[in-house]
Amino acid sequence: MSAPVLPSLPFRLLERFLPSSTADAVIGDLIERQVTGVRLWRETLVAVWHLRDRTPHEVELMSSFLSDLRLAVRLLVRAPTFTAAAVLTLGIAIGATAAIFSVANPVLIRPLPYRHADRVMVVWEKERDGSRSTVGFTTIRDYTDRATTFESAAALGDWQPTLSEGNEPERLQGLRVSSNYFHTLGVQPALGRDFRADEDVPGAQRVVIISHALWQRRFGGDPSVIGRSVSIGGTMMPVVGVMPEGFDDVTAPGSQIWRILGYAVTDPYACRTCRHLRMIARLKPGVALERAQSELTKVHKAIAAEHPEDYGSPDALVAPLQSEVTRQYRPALLALGAAVGLMLVIAIANMANLQLARLVRREEEFAIRTALGATTPRLTRQLLTEALLIGALGGVAGLVVAWLAIPALVRQLPPLLPRLGAIHLDVAALAVIAAIVVVSTMVVGLVPRRGRRVSNIADGLRGGRRLTGTRQSAVRAGLIVAEMAFALMLLVGAGLLARSVIRLLDVDKGFDASNLLTLEINSVGPRYETDQAVFAYHDKVRDAVRALPGVVSVGVVNQLPLGGNIDLYGVGAQDKPEPDPAKVPSGDRYVVSADYLSTMRIPIVEGRPFTPAEERDTVNMVVLVSQALATRLWPGESAIGKRIRMGGPERPFRAIIGVTGNVHHQGLDATQLMSFYVPERQWFSSDNQEMLVVRTRGNPTAMAGAVRRAIRQIDPAQPIVKVAAMDDVVAASTGQRRLALTLFTCFALAAVLLAVAGIYGVLAGNVAERTREIGLRAALGATPRNILQLVVGQGARLAVVGLSVGLFGAFALTRSLRALLFGVGPNDPVTMVMATAVLLAAALAACLVPAVRALRVDPSQAFRVD
Amino acid sequence: MLGELEQIVLLAVLRVGDAAYGVPVHEEIVRLTRRDLTLGTVYKTLSRLEAKGFVRSYEGDPTPQRGGRRTRCFAVTTAGRKSLESTLATLRRMAVGLDVGLEPT
Repeated sequence: MSAPVLPSLPFRLLERFLPSSTADAVIGDLIERQVTGVRLWRETLVAVWHLRDRTPHEVELMSSFLSDLRLAVRLLVRAPTFTAAAVLTLGIAIGATAAIFSVANPVLIRPLPYRHADRVMVVWEKERDGSRSTVGFTTIRDYTDRATTFESAAALGDWQPTLSEGNEPERLQGLRVSSNYFHTLGVQPALGRDFRADEDVPGAQRVVIISHALWQRRFGGDPSVIGRSVSIGGTMMPVVGVMPEGFDDVTAPGSQIWRILGYAVTDPYACRTCRHLRMIARLKPGVALERAQSELTKVHKAIAAEHPEDYGSPDALVAPLQSEVTRQYRPALLALGAAVGLMLVIAIANMANLQLARLVRREEEFAIRTALGATTPRLTRQLLTEALLIGALGGVAGLVVAWLAIPALVRQLPPLLPRLGAIHLDVAALAVIAAIVVVSTMVVGLVPRRGRRVSNIADGLRGGRRLTGTRQSAVRAGLIVAEMAFALMLLVGAGLLARSVIRLLDVDKGFDASNLLTLEINSVGPRYETDQAVFAYHDKVRDAVRALPGVVSVGVVNQLPLGGNIDLYGVGAQDKPEPDPAKVPSGDRYVVSADYLSTMRIPIVEGRPFTPAEERDTVNMVVLVSQALATRLWPGESAIGKRIRMGGPERPFRAIIGVTGNVHHQGLDATQLMSFYVPERQWFSSDNQEMLVVRTRGNPTAMAGAVRRAIRQIDPAQPIVKVAAMDDVVAASTGQRRLALTLFTCFALAAVLLAVAGIYGVLAGNVAERTREIGLRAALGATPRNILQLVVGQGARLAVVGLSVGLFGAFALTRSLRALLFGVGPNDPVTMVMATAVLLAAALAACLVPAVRALRVDPSQAFRVD
Repeated sequence: MLGELEQIVLLAVLRVGDAAYGVPVHEEIVRLTRRDLTLGTVYKTLSRLEAKGFVRSYEGDPTPQRGGRRTRCFAVTTAGRKSLESTLATLRRMAVGLDVGLEPT
C-alpha cells in the first residue's frame, strides 16, 4: 500500500458507522480500486451519509426533535413580544458584526491577491519627523542596486491619461511603472505579455497594459486589441497586455491603465531630489522585514553620505504593502471593530436576560411537565430546540441586516479604499458569528438553571412566586451591569467623535466654501501642445462661465484645498539661504488665475492681490504667500518685497507682493498651513488638468449643467470630471471621521436601548415577583416613598455600578480612538460626564414604570394570591 | 416504475453477470453513463433495491487485493427482472412515434 497511514482514518470511520458487512464490502472495493486522497474522503463521507447504521435511539431522537420543534414554534408564536425582541436583538448583533467583518476582512486582514503578497514591500524615504516621502528615480536605482534582500524592485508614478478612443473622451486612473512592476507585485497579464526591460528606456515606444474592466468596457473584450494602438491624450500607444479579471492594483486603487516609465538617470526629472515616484520591492524568500529594513538603512546612509546636498531624510523605510495601503483607514475600521464587539457583548447579555426572564415565568410549566414524567434531559432538549429556533430566526434576520448594511457601508467608505471591489457579504463569517452568538446566549441563559430543576417541583406547583433564586438574580444583575458598562463605553466613543467632527467643521478653513462649484477641466491632445494654447483655453473657459447668469466669479487653480492632492514645493528665501535641505520649508503650490483668490474669498492680510496685468506678465515674477509661510521665513518682519524661489536652485526668484490668510490644504486637522500662489503663466510649465472654481449666486450644484454646456461648446473633446460643490469637498475630507461617527452613534443608540430595556425587564419582573412582599410592606405601613426607594434603589444601584465599571472601560476604549479625535482629548471630562448623565437618566426613567406599578399594589392583594 | 438510478444499477448488475460486486458494477456504470458516481451511492441504491426484493446479495470471498475484505455480490431476482422489463416497456411505449432513439426494434 502506498499510503498506509492516512487512509486508515476514513476506513475507521466506515467501520465505525456502517453495518459490518457493508463496511467490509465498501472498504474492500476502495482498497481494490486503490482510491486515495480527496476522492477517498469523498467516497467515505458519501458512504457514511447514505449507509450509516441508524440505531433505534437515533430514530427516536429525530422524532422527538420534530415534536420539540413543533412545540417551540407554538410557544414562540404565543409569546410574540419575547420572540420579536430576541430575533431583533440577534439580528442586529449578527448582522452588524457580519457586515463590519465583511468589509474589514478583505481590506485589512485577507492577504492581497498577489503571489506571496507578504513579501511585497513599499519603500519610502523617511523624514526626520518619521513621515514617509516619495523617492527620486536615481535613489530608487541606487536602493535597488545596493540592497541584497530584494528579489526585484520597481518604481511607479501617478498617471491620469485621457483615452480618446471613439467620441467620448475619458479620464483614466493609471500608473507609469518600471518594466518589472507586475513581476514585483506578483501578477501577470492574462492576455498578451508583460512589459519588457528594453521598453523601459527613454525614447522607446510607449506601450501600455490595460485592465480587464477597461478592455471589456471600451474594447468589447476583443482579443485583437493586443498590438493595436490606442489614442492616449493624442499620442498613439500600442496595447501589449490585458490584466486578469478582478486584478486590483492596491498601490493606485481603480487603476485601469499602466504605461512603461521609461526614465534614465540622466533625465532632469530623475534626480535624487525629484521625489515624485513611489517604490515597491519584493523580498527574497525567507528574508525577514527587519533584515531588509536594517540593510536599507545602511544603504540609505551610504548614499546620503555620498550626496549630502540631496538628502534631508535621515533614513529609508521598508513596510509591507498591505499595511501601507490600509494605514490611513486602519484607525476607523479598528474603532468600528471595537464598537461592533461591544454591541455583540451587549446583545448577548440582553438575549441571556430575555431568556432568564422567560424561564422564571415558565417555572410552573416545567414543574408540571416534570411532575407528568418529563426527564431533565428531555426538558433541556426542549430548551435547546427553542434556543436553536430563535437562533435560526435571528440568523436569518442577521442575514437581512448584513445584506442591507453592506452596500450602505460601502457607499460611506472612501472610493479610493483599496480592495473595495472585493467586499461582499461573507456568508461563512455570518454563519460563524451566528453560531457564536447563539451558543454563548444559550450558555449564559441556561447554565444558571442547572441543578435546580427537579428539586423545585413542589415550589413550582404551589405557584408561589418565590422562585427568583439568588443565583439567577445575581446573573441577571451582572448582565445589567455589563450592559450599562458597555453602553457607556459606546456612548462616550460616539460623544468624542461627535465633538471632534463639530470642532473640525468649526475650523476656519481660510476660504468660503458656500455657493462654490468646483470641477476639473482638461486640455489634452495635439491642440494643446503649447503652454499658450492651454492658457488660451483656460481664458476662454473662464470667460464663457463668467458670462453665465447666476455666476459671480470664476477662477482656475491647479489643485483644490482639502481636495486630497499633495503638491508640495521647497521654498528658498533669497536673503536667508538654508544649507540644510531638511530645514527648507515646503509650501502647497497653487498655480492660479488672478481671480482665484477673490472667487475663493481668501483674504489678503498684507500687500495686494495679483493685477490682471501681472497675470499675463512673464518677465516680472511675482508671488503671494500664506501668513504661515511668511512667519516661518521672516518671523516678526514683513514679507512684502522679499524674494523666494520654489523647486530648486535652477528656478527664478519671485517678489512677494502680498500675504494671504492661511488655507487648510491637507485636511481641516492639518498643521501645515504654508502655501504660495503663482499666476499660471508665470509657472514654468502648464498643467493639462486644472480645477475651475465658480462662485454662484444660488445653489452651486444647480449650475453644474449650464457650466458643463458652456465648456463643452469651447471644446467638446475634453472630459469634465469631479463636479462637486465645495461644501461637499470639505465634507468628504472629514469622511473617515464621519463614517466612524455615524456607525458609533448607531451602535451607541442600539446599546443604550438594549441596556435600558434590560434594566426595565429586570425591575418589572422583580416587581411582579415581589407583589406579595410589596403589598405586605404597604399593609405594615411603608410609605409610597419607601416603596419607590425600594424599587428605584435597586435599579439605580445596578446602573451606578455599571456606569462606574463603564467609565474605566471608556478610558481604555477611547485610547484606540485617539487617531480619529480632533480638538478633544480621549478622556474629555465633558463627554464623560454628559454620557454618564444621559445613561443614568435613561436608566432611572426605565425604573420609574415598574416603581409606579409597585405603588399601585393593593395591600389586600398580598393576601389574596394562591 | 423504477427510478433512473435503480434502472441503471439493475442493468449494470445484469451486464456484469456472475459475481457482480461493487467494483465491476461501479465501473460498468461509470464507463457507460460517464457519470462520476460514488460507491456509496451505488451501494445505497442496491440496498434500496434489496429492500424492494429486486436484488439479493450474498457474501463473496475475501481476496488479497482487497486487504482481506469480503465482497458483497448482487444478483437480480425474478421480481427485479420483471420490474425492469415493465419499466423499459413503458418507456418504449411512451416513445412510440417520437424520434428519441427509443423506437421498438
